[in-house]
This record gives sequence, structure tokens and C-alpha cells, in this order.
Amino acid sequence: MEKVELLAPAGSFDALTAAINAGADAVYFGVEQLNMRARSVNSFLLSDIKEIASRCRKGKIKAYLTLNTILYDHDMQLLRGILKEVKKHKIDAVIASDIAVIEMCNQMNIAVHISTQSNVSNIEAARFYARFADVVVLARELTLKQIEAITKEIKKKKIKGYSGELLKIEAFVHGALCMAISGKCYLSLHSQNASANRGACVQNCRHSYTVTDTETKEELLIDHEYIMSPKDLCTLPILDQVLASGVNVLKIEGRTKGADYVYTVTRCYREALDSIAKKNFSQEKIDGWMKELSTVYNRGFWEGYYLGQKLGQWSPVSGSVATEKKVYIGKGTKYFSKIKIGEFLIEAGSIKAGDTLMISGANIGMAKEKLETLVVNGEKSEQAVKGDKITLPVSAKVTSRDKIYKVVSTIDA
Amino acid sequence: MPNIIHYRNRCIGCGICYELQPELWRMSKKDGKATLLRAVKKKDVYVLELTRHHVQKSKETAEACPVRIIKVN
Ligand code: SF4
Repeated sequence: MEKVELLAPAGSFDALTAAINAGADAVYFGVEQLNMRARSVNSFLLSDIKEIASRCRKGKIKAYLTLNTILYDHDMQLLRGILKEVKKHKIDAVIASDIAVIEMCNQMNIAVHISTQSNVSNIEAARFYARFADVVVLARELTLKQIEAITKEIKKKKIKGYSGELLKIEAFVHGALCMAISGKCYLSLHSQNASANRGACVQNCRHSYTVTDTETKEELLIDHEYIMSPKDLCTLPILDQVLASGVNVLKIEGRTKGADYVYTVTRCYREALDSIAKKNFSQEKIDGWMKELSTVYNRGFWEGYYLGQKLGQWSPVSGSVATEKKVYIGKGTKYFSKIKIGEFLIEAGSIKAGDTLMISGANIGMAKEKLETLVVNGEKSEQAVKGDKITLPVSAKVTSRDKIYKVVSTIDA
Repeated sequence: MPNIIHYRNRCIGCGICYELQPELWRMSKKDGKATLLRAVKKKDVYVLELTRHHVQKSKETAEACPVRIIKVN
């Protein structure tokens, strides 16, 4: 089996570093408003591309830029500007669905990956896009059997991508699913004039609804489920089967997620992939990873459509069922680089010795650790409260943009 | 008369404001975001004092912006 690529989301520098540290082979990110997470407050700017490229090169991973919204005439100049930066800083590929982007990338000799927004669901569509692209991300609604048929045909017919190498197939393995067919949701547009296909999805599907018979005015109860909100995709328990379907790239969803999420999910999938390669993928290990995965944001897990379930599985809640949550405590203030100690100012709440803390920052990515001894204002102490400064060992430089959280269990809380 | 305020940084360039109110808006070819015509830049936001006959329509535009970054007050 060839080596598959593990592709992680990077919505911030913290998440980018976390992805590198967790063992991703590549990351994808968006800039400015032309990406599907335009709503995200901390989206990267055009000027960040340089730094992203250099961090990825240092971390020896690939970087892909997502440019997969619908585009209008007034976006063309911005598009060209973005692609110039991509070229200049040698970003490895652009993930696209609009023909304008694909065409411009081809002209500029930038590698193209076809986004899931293009909804590629059969071999002929893949063959069509192979003329312009090297990787095709399949629609998220295919079964593994259907995927396998596509990957087999690519090998058999030697369908080559734009670069001349065999066309690669990418599939989502983990993260939020959309109630609609990939890239075909207009719910948000109808309800709030906010086009999901322009990255402004307001997530109507995550609310609970009742169905009312307009004739009798009778309300139908729908089993207390959020009927339009699918649970999150999690293929870890069937990862060996996913690999057997012949996919080349495994994508983790989540550009709006924090460093802790990216680190935990990427790490679990990395370990699982390595374990499959070593042929010691076992139920016991899967149980361990599943426990890890459920500590970060999730709406409950299911295996998506891969095993051919007819109907989606709906989430019982609107938000997360994660077994842990992070509570903001404070921010970084100083770093003593010789002794690798970071100083943090407590701005909210309190912590005590024995608490588990999580740091998120552009240099550290994410680090989670149980605090055995607590040093407050330079002295060993039992508790730290608002206004106190705490110091602890941190392996990478701490800046004022680093945040520190207390990790609390949501089960016995 | 009330002001119309545009928090331009967060604009996603969907173009609805221009569709609804071409008399006040243009889509910038430069960065793909909306530009409020004749507005004055104050820090990161753009402000324009409305004339009476623009008020009602401006409120509708503010309502329609998907990321709610147009305010009339
Ligand atoms: S409606 Fe709002 S988001 Fe859309 S272009 Fe106008 S200001 Fe920008």
C-alpha cells in the first residue's frame, strides 16, 4: 500500500503548529473572504501566506490554500493577488471548485485540487477534472465501495492528473458533516440571506425544529433529535477499510477549531495510520483513540455514509458532547528562554495545584499538562486567582497572544 | 440624520449591499469588498451621514448583510 497523506485543518497559527506537532503530512488554510469559513473571525490575511509557507517548510509538511467559494466578477483581482502570493511563496496547491480559479491556476502553473464543493461522485467527473487537477476530493456522501470503484478505475485506465502523475483521490475522514449534499446547501441563504457557498453559513441545520401540519396545526415531535444536524463523521474505527478503498489523502475537517482540537484529532489519526502500517491496529487501540477523540468538540460520532447507511444519524444535541471543555484562565506575559519557563497572567477564574492546563499559541501549538506544582508570583502555592502571575515549564516561546485554559471534565462536573 | 456605518474589515464581499443600494455602494475591484461611497474612514470603520431619503433603504440593506456589519443609527 502506498503512503497516504494525512491532511489537517489550519485556521490559525496555533492550529498550524499543533497540526505539525501532531504529525500531519499537510495542512489546508484559507485567506481573506474567499474561503468557506469567511465568517471565522481570525481568518488569515493575504500577508500571512509567507509566514504560513515558511512554517510548513520548516515542519516539512505541505500547505494547500482553500479558495473554494463561489466567485463574482469583483473578486477577480483579489483572486489574482492571492494566487500571485501562492506562487511566490510556493504553496503546494490550491483547493478550488470555481472554474475561474481552476483556469487561473492552470495558467499560472499552480497545482489544483478539486474541492468537495464540486461534488465529484463518479469516475467520469473525476476523469473530467483530471485534465486540470492532481487531486480530487470526493463528495462526502459516497460509500467506500463507490470510492473503491473510482480508485480502481483510475489505476486501471491510468487516469493522470494535470501534472502527469496518476490522479489522486481525497476523502474526508473526520469532522462536521453537512445535512446537504456537499456544496449544495441553500438553507442559510433562504433564512438569513447568508450564502453558505460564500462561506457565510449560519448553521440553521444545527437548531432543533418541530414540524407543524398546517391543516390541523398539529405539531409533530421528532424524537428529541436535531433532525437536520448530523453527528460528526469519525472513520477511525474503520480506518483500515477506508485505506483499503484506495484513497490517497485523508482529510480532517475543522478550520474554525482550536489548536487542542486539531492536535488531538490529528494525533489520533496519525497513530492509527502508523498502527495500520505496522499491522497492529486493534480494537483495544481503537477504544483508546475514541476516548481521546471524545474529549474535544464533537456532536457525537458516526461513520458517515461510508458503510452505506441509508439515512443520516442525527445529533441528540445542538452543541458539543465532548467529555472535556476548556475554560479561559489567562494569557502569556513573558518567556525565560534559557530555562524554558513561561509566565502567564490569570485574568479569569482560578486554578489550583493538580489542575490540568492547556496552552494554545503560535509557537507551541497546543500543550496539555497536569500541573503538579503551582508557582504563583515566584512562590510555590496551592491556588492562583485573578491578577496572579504563574510560571511553568513550556517547551516553546510564549507570547502575549498565547492563551492558557483550565481543562475540566464535563462528565462529573 | 442618522449615520450608516460599515465595518469593512469583516466584509465577505457577497455584493448584496450593492445589489440593493447601488446609490451608496460599490464592489471594490481591488480587494473584492464593498465600499461605502463618500464615507469617512474612522479607525477601521467607514461612516456616512445619511440624507433623509436614504434612511429606510439603508436599514433594509443593514438587515440584508449576511455578516451584519452594516449599522444605521
Ligand atoms: S452585504 Fe455585507 S458582507 Fe456583503 S458585500 Fe455588503 S457589506 Fe460586505
